Amino acid sequence: MIIEAKNVSRTFRSTKKAEGFKGALGLLLKPEYQSHDAVKNVSFSIEEGSFNGLIGANGAGKTTLLKMLSGLIAPTSGEVRVLGYDPFKRPIDFRKKIALVMGQKAQLWWDLPGVDAFDLLRAIYDIPSPVYKERLNRLAELLDVTKHLNTQIRRLSLGERMKMELIGALIHWPKVIFLDEPTIGLDVLAAHKLREFLKEFNRVEKATIILTSHNMEDIERLCSRVLILKTGEMIYDGKPEGLTKKGECRLRVRLMQKPTADELAGVSGVPAAAIKTPNGGPEADGEAEAEDEAEGHVDRDSVYFTTKVDLIPTVLQKLMAKFTIVNMGIEEQSLESVIQRLYTQA
Amino acid sequence: MKWRIAALVNGFKDATAYRVEFLFEVLGSAFVPAAIQWVLWYAMFKIGGANEIAGMGYSDMIRYTMVSLLFTQVRGGDHDFELQEMIRSGQLSNYILRPVGLVEFVYIRGMAPKLLIAGMALAVGSVAGMFFGISPGRLLGAMVMAFIGNVIHYQIGAALATTAFIWEEAFSFLMVKNMLVSLLSGELLPLSLFPKNMQWIWQSTPFYLYVYGPVQYSLGHWSHAYFFQQLAWSGVWLVIGWVLIRASWGLGMRRYLSLGG
Repeated sequence: MIIEAKNVSRTFRSTKKAEGFKGALGLLLKPEYQSHDAVKNVSFSIEEGSFNGLIGANGAGKTTLLKMLSGLIAPTSGEVRVLGYDPFKRPIDFRKKIALVMGQKAQLWWDLPGVDAFDLLRAIYDIPSPVYKERLNRLAELLDVTKHLNTQIRRLSLGERMKMELIGALIHWPKVIFLDEPTIGLDVLAAHKLREFLKEFNRVEKATIILTSHNMEDIERLCSRVLILKTGEMIYDGKPEGLTKKGECRLRVRLMQKPTADELAGVSGVPAAAIKTPNGGPEADGEAEAEDEAEGHVDRDSVYFTTKVDLIPTVLQKLMAKFTIVNMGIEEQSLESVIQRLYTQA
Repeated sequence: MKWRIAALVNGFKDATAYRVEFLFEVLGSAFVPAAIQWVLWYAMFKIGGANEIAGMGYSDMIRYTMVSLLFTQVRGGDHDFELQEMIRSGQLSNYILRPVGLVEFVYIRGMAPKLLIAGMALAVGSVAGMFFGISPGRLLGAMVMAFIGNVIHYQIGAALATTAFIWEEAFSFLMVKNMLVSLLSGELLPLSLFPKNMQWIWQSTPFYLYVYGPVQYSLGHWSHAYFFQQLAWSGVWLVIGWVLIRASWGLGMRRYLSLGG
């Protein structure tokens, strides 16, 4: 195993500030502290050459976990090994073999063109000139930024900058790559190109990649394994297909009547927990529904039944016997909707 | 060695990315302390009617001011402020995963423009020295001392910047340090103006090696033997600075939070 984490936890301490002038004065004279468990007792191991997705809602602990794996911060308790090293000791050999890309943080020097920054990185990682040139050309071509190599980083668009950051992170051909939201802010085309590139890099170079992203397309298209964090705890570790249950789908039905979830459960034989009604079924809890709707996954006037595909004719028959169906359809369960539900479940 | 040269070149490119800004950095800030000194000497000697202060006449003071200009700009940059900001904002994360010594890397990138300034100051000083009787050999020795002073200044600043690991914000602390340095380095006033019973204050810090020492040697007020003795002291300060950095960064990094995403 190239990465191993055993019972890893991380707690942060911060000052607590009350509102207003009194709060400011209190902070000055007698600061109060609060603790926050960002990662709680997480264990997992990662195989060499695999592409892994680390996902979770905001504040779930994804970035904290990446920071511990890359050696930026130490765990409060537990043990982390990456490439056989203790990351927090940061030995030179370890630093030469890893890369961390943070989508929200510029790592290159803003006032210089990319090519100057890469040249410095060439010297830092002691890459022979012919190898460096070949890699730079290959990466720039793959990411379609050859014409921007001599432009000041700060003058580039967000997408172009992100691609430059990736070149800066990969120019030394790391064995382990930590990517923290690399497609953040990118347009559809740029995100697609980036994904294709990462897929290719992982396939050809056998680099082990851990990717965090809020974009489920990134996860679906790239990752063979998904780790889901929720408020610091690991709630899922497995294949993405394992989240979308095989043979299950969503039956969307628009009815003339407005029955409750319990009534629908009684008639259809589908458990009330698997029914989402317009007037607020068990699954119709605020945030996920709002996000579903924003993404165009929810028709507010319809009822949704999550059930086995082969049970659908029976469910429909039972419903038609009692209610008038105006419109209907069958939907595949998307990874996104499953994960949204996981995030919002208590 | 390769990465050090590359960092130096890179730092130079970075510093000169904006020509006008660079010229102001080189020329602008040196003249303010010089102007303050000139006003002060004029008030004391021409308006106040003084003939000599601490053994120095008006022309001695003006000579001191002019020569100090050569070394004030070499004195040191604001890399310590850069380091404390990096600790506070989490930008330090960009550097600590690279296989180089962080504190050394930041220094080398930042010293590139200072090397250029030192070269320019040396050239200007050598030409001007022909008219004012300053030996080029002494000027070169003084510049070496000023550059060692630049390293010591960074070492102290880098060690103090680690207070940002504890307090999160160390800007004002570093500002106070810089004000003290201005006073105790001889950048604002010749240190011989300190009262006799307070001379020990500047003598017990390394700051006089930044400007006062180089000026004294350039002007021939220090013998060669005394100069080399002071160079040896600067070596001691370099070792102390190195130990300070090792200890403070070793402790500080344990508290690093890598904030900001």
